[in-house]
Amino acid sequence: MTKMQEYGHIVFNKQIAEGIYWMSVNAPDIAAAANPGQFVHMCVHGKPSVQFLRMPFCIYDASADMNAVDICYQVVGEGTEQLSKLVPGEFVDIIGPIGNGWNPPENTQHALLVCGGVGAPALNLLGRALAIGGAKVDAVMGAQTASKLACQEHIECSVAKSGGTVHITTDDGSAGVHGFVTQVSDELIASGAYDYVAVCGPLPMERNVVKAAFEHDVFCEVSMEKLMACGVGACLGCTVETKAGRKRCCVDGPVFDAAEVIW
Amino acid sequence: MEKPRTNNASHVPNSKKRAELDGVACVPSELADDAPDMSVVLGGFTMKNPVTVASGTFGCGQEYADFFDVSRLGAITTKGVSSEAWQGNDSPRIAETASGMLNSIGLQNPGVEAFCQEQIPWLDTLDTSVIVNVSGHSIHDYVHVIERLEDEPRVDAYEVNISCPNVDAGGMTFGVDAKAAAQVTAAVRAATQRPLLIKLTPNVTDITVIARAVAEAGADGISLINTLLGMAIDAKARRPKLARVVGGLSGPAIKPVALRMVWEVHNVVDIPILGMGGIQCGLDAIEFMLAGASAVAVGAASFVDPCASVRVLEEMVAFCKEQGITRVRDLTGALEV
Repeated sequence: MTKMQEYGHIVFNKQIAEGIYWMSVNAPDIAAAANPGQFVHMCVHGKPSVQFLRMPFCIYDASADMNAVDICYQVVGEGTEQLSKLVPGEFVDIIGPIGNGWNPPENTQHALLVCGGVGAPALNLLGRALAIGGAKVDAVMGAQTASKLACQEHIECSVAKSGGTVHITTDDGSAGVHGFVTQVSDELIASGAYDYVAVCGPLPMERNVVKAAFEHDVFCEVSMEKLMACGVGACLGCTVETKAGRKRCCVDGPVFDAAEVIW
Repeated sequence: MEKPRTNNASHVPNSKKRAELDGVACVPSELADDAPDMSVVLGGFTMKNPVTVASGTFGCGQEYADFFDVSRLGAITTKGVSSEAWQGNDSPRIAETASGMLNSIGLQNPGVEAFCQEQIPWLDTLDTSVIVNVSGHSIHDYVHVIERLEDEPRVDAYEVNISCPNVDAGGMTFGVDAKAAAQVTAAVRAATQRPLLIKLTPNVTDITVIARAVAEAGADGISLINTLLGMAIDAKARRPKLARVVGGLSGPAIKPVALRMVWEVHNVVDIPILGMGGIQCGLDAIEFMLAGASAVAVGAASFVDPCASVRVLEEMVAFCKEQGITRVRDLTGALEV
């Protein structure tokens, strides 16, 4: 898997939910090579005193005919704050596509995507690929509150095409079911309808979804998030504890077989 | 396509590969006919140019081979190799800081036997020198690693790490004591005829004492600096940002300290210095040579720009051309005070 470095202009960078932005960067080579679940490592040339390292973002959307790589990010610190202020036409330096993406069983019949907060972008391309492949896809999407729900339309588009259903949850009940993602996903997984579960979100949520999948013997993959430095497998800064020892989140992941990870 | 495009970017090659954007010619600048002589001698072996990478920031080079031809570097310095496999430290292992980063990786590596099986075949494909970084918890560990590597003709030199701040036994504990540093040096010296660099820690009161001790014990060269011991705190959580609490600081934040130490060591020993610490560009590297380094290593900069090391080389070539310098090695210690 070849990684590339491109300087691409920003096609758009817009707020789509409270504190959450959707950015599209012109990067044809990376776009053409990207697989669902892979990520890009992005450099914002600002003050190195503020932002020294690159920032990893899951690929939200990309395809050979798009010429662009899209990411969806939440402003959480100085780096993402800086990123949110960039305007179309400005350039960013991106490396990608990086890592092992989703690897659903070839004959997946009925898949469940479980998305917590800004975990949703990592599942968008997977949902599309599964739907195109003929699987039925359901999704549970959770957020703290209605104004922080993002990426709903795109996930919904794939799910609808596949004949599935999107379930929304919010911690405060301002949209969908009042409660955590896992309240809904636990029930769905327990129904025995699924032969594949994919999850991306905060660690405690991932842990609970994985637990439910194990209990019902469903193959489950998880996209892990770790602080990263190099993003290309050299520095060993982002290791994940697995049954086969400490593995690099960046190039051995970010998607892991949940049964391989030590929870 | 189910989403709107605010700007139709199809087939507009505004995005370019870095080489196109930088106008890099087909012939690497260091090989062009008008290129200055970039070769340097470091502790008994000749590097075709003065730029290598800092151990632990570059794997064995394979991770960066997608981005540029790593054989263009003067040498590849490998990730630290220990006698047995080391698991390294718990996560989180890194923290971003002002103009740099902290790490507490803890020298995770699969051990010397796995290194020979898995990495030597890759290194064999490269057309540049190989410096193997050697780690240990004890003098015996260091010697064992070197004894095993003596069977590998691909290895050109050793860099013995007596300066890692992230392991409990060995590592930096050898590098903060002149007597212990000399003992390790003498023991590994007895185990090999190959060029031997000793990598020193900046976490000492007087670096010159340690430098003299390892030079007298038989080192062919000195690498410095390793990372500076530091820590970072998450105020809201009231917790350290690193699982191991403390870690090693690298990046441009440490360059002035590194330059000062290269200068101090250059003034007291006759053996060559591999200088490193916060090098981001060619000019930084030139500064290290002026302070007394014979060669330089690019470290954390590779995390920010995967092509940083080769860019440093290109910028050094450009600097030499611009300044009319015909042999880069003439810069070593040429600081006018």
